[in-house]
Amino acid sequence: MTIRSARPDRGQHFRPRMLCLNKLEVIVVEMQDPKSGVTGSEQKLNVTTIPHVFAGKDIIAWIANKMKTPPEEAHVFGTMLVAFGYIYPLQNHKMLVMCNDTSLYRFQAPYFWPTQKWVADDSDYAIYLAKRNIRKKGMLEPYEQAHYNHLHKWLNHKWDFIVMQATEQYKAGKERKKPDRVVFDCQERAYWILNRPPRRTHSAMDCGPERLIDPNEDEKISFDQYRRKNMFYQQAIMRSKVKSSVSLGALVKYITTYKTHDPFLAPCQPSNPWQTDNDTYWTLNMRGVDVPTKMRVERWSFSLFELLTDLRGRDDFKVFLKKEFSGENLAFWEAAEELKWGTGSSMSAKAETIFKTFLAPGAPRWINIDGRTMGLTVKGLDHPHRYVLEAAQTHVFLLMKKDTFFRYLKSPVYKDIQKKALSPETHNFSPAQLEQNAQNRSPGIHPIILWQQEEEEKAKTAAASAPVDVKAMMSKIDRKK
Amino acid sequence: MGKEECKTMLDALNKVTACYRHLVIALGSTSDSQNLREELKRTRKKAQELAVANRTKLTSLLKDKTISKEDRAEYERLWVLFSSSMDLLEVDMKRSLEIGQEFPLKVPTRHLIQTGMTGSTTTVAARAMSVQNMKYEADSNVDTADLRDLRSEITQVSQMMEEMEMKVQVAPWAVEAKQEAGAELKSNMSVGNSSVGVISICEEEPKEEDGAGGRDTGFATICAVAGFVIIVFVAVVLGYLVINMS
Repeated sequence: MTIRSARPDRGQHFRPRMLCLNKLEVIVVEMQDPKSGVTGSEQKLNVTTIPHVFAGKDIIAWIANKMKTPPEEAHVFGTMLVAFGYIYPLQNHKMLVMCNDTSLYRFQAPYFWPTQKWVADDSDYAIYLAKRNIRKKGMLEPYEQAHYNHLHKWLNHKWDFIVMQATEQYKAGKERKKPDRVVFDCQERAYWILNRPPRRTHSAMDCGPERLIDPNEDEKISFDQYRRKNMFYQQAIMRSKVKSSVSLGALVKYITTYKTHDPFLAPCQPSNPWQTDNDTYWTLNMRGVDVPTKMRVERWSFSLFELLTDLRGRDDFKVFLKKEFSGENLAFWEAAEELKWGTGSSMSAKAETIFKTFLAPGAPRWINIDGRTMGLTVKGLDHPHRYVLEAAQTHVFLLMKKDTFFRYLKSPVYKDIQKKALSPETHNFSPAQLEQNAQNRSPGIHPIILWQQEEEEKAKTAAASAPVDVKAMMSKIDRKK
Repeated sequence: MGKEECKTMLDALNKVTACYRHLVIALGSTSDSQNLREELKRTRKKAQELAVANRTKLTSLLKDKTISKEDRAEYERLWVLFSSSMDLLEVDMKRSLEIGQEFPLKVPTRHLIQTGMTGSTTTVAARAMSVQNMKYEADSNVDTADLRDLRSEITQVSQMMEEMEMKVQVAPWAVEAKQEAGAELKSNMSVGNSSVGVISICEEEPKEEDGAGGRDTGFATICAVAGFVIIVFVAVVLGYLVINMS
């Protein structure tokens, strides 16, 4: 039931990355040629024979011949034809792959082709499920039953229509001859396995959000667009670029450092929550966890940036700095971050406090930056904006990186936490357990609770890191003497 | 009563929509032919007539302000049924235009998709038109004139739908269905007739379902064979006795 209005439709309707469908259609039509196409045979069921079945190896041989590619590529192409739904397998109908042997395939009706415009509709799926319900006398597969219940709830206003239409389509289908009925059922089933795949199956129809522009349309580039393109390219030529030897070297270094930490390249310990629906990985790597995982601790040693961006690492660094009584650098860096990311109204107040605490001569937590930067920053603080502390912040960051960071890595604090760090075992779920995991997914911690925890943390750190009065400390030490 | 009339007309529209869908699915495949295109045209015309009749009836009923609340709810439900049918019909018509343009019939080299469907769709169309046999006219310009007509019909239908939405204020999401989940199983259908169809389709499905279907059919065939054997045995015994007697 589409809601119509008199206004023109400016919505986003075009699926990206589906341009290949037009080209595939041409190839499928060429395959039908009685002389130069693929040769078919007949399929014998109980008493009926149904024509137009094709063996997988025949199709792959035809593709290899036509496109002049090696058989492996033709095999992949064949699998794509099946995965997009132009050809469907008769045996093992849930696996949408093309096998290079005598397994049988048939072509899908043009009505069921995955064209760009007609997306598989939920109400159509509901009608199909109702029809299947009638044929199977109530025994739908579990994922189908789940879909059915869901659609019954959300399409409830149309449910009468769906039931009526399903019974009518079923009755009309019985008017056809038996072989045609069998073929029609197979076609519909293949179409819906493609468009509503069962759990944990990969679907070729996965594409991103829909776009505004029709990719099948020819683009007409105007004179003004050409002019702008020329300007852009001319400016791009004049920019100075990094030599590829340098940038590629940096890329190689990055890859060698991070390759064990990338969840695409190395298995995630204990298990990737997106694949196994078990969120131990996330709970072990939370911000406020007592004992971090070994991978996390190893990541802190890569660079100071990694250490500071991971909030748990930052806490650990703070503990170390407290022991060394050199926490003002990090405190200044954090305050500058707060100024950068904070609200506009609080900026002048924050700038004041930062000046008083860190930059004024004789301040309680005076940071040691060079004279020129100090001068620039103090002048800038008269009219504070977000990036007024950028120069000082970078300087402090470099100081920390060159000096404190390496001391931290050699310190007993770090070594201690390295020893304590957890190394969780890889999960090994059986398919039944995976199903159960999928059904028992919890919504996780409520964001309000997380926010409250963060507020408590902030209050604690604010109380703990009240400016350490250097003079008071010095006097205490003097008194001890 | 207006309601009963409406319901019968909606049932008819529903039937025609279902048959039209079956016909459109056969387009472009090897069961496509001149006859099919003609069947499509006739079914379309019938659907349009029914649609117009339904629309006038329902709009007149809904515009009536002097009806009770239950009646109004019932009419809104019928309205949702009607507009969903029309949506389906419109989509099918647009798709038949596309597929019809892609697979023209009057060209020297026809490349129809070998889907395995080879039978004719005459019976489906006859069901839609509620006639016993379909008679065809030999229309020669099935590719051009027919598609032109189809385009104009599609625009007609779209305009009708837009008018409907503007004139009648019905909130489709407020309608509650009368049927509960699984209602289609209880509808009065001759399920017994379809058992033969069920058996052969089951054979195409993977092993475990085949086993279940096979078990049932096996049992039925065993019973039939056992009955046959018993009858033959009884006949042989009686014949033997008769021969012995005489």
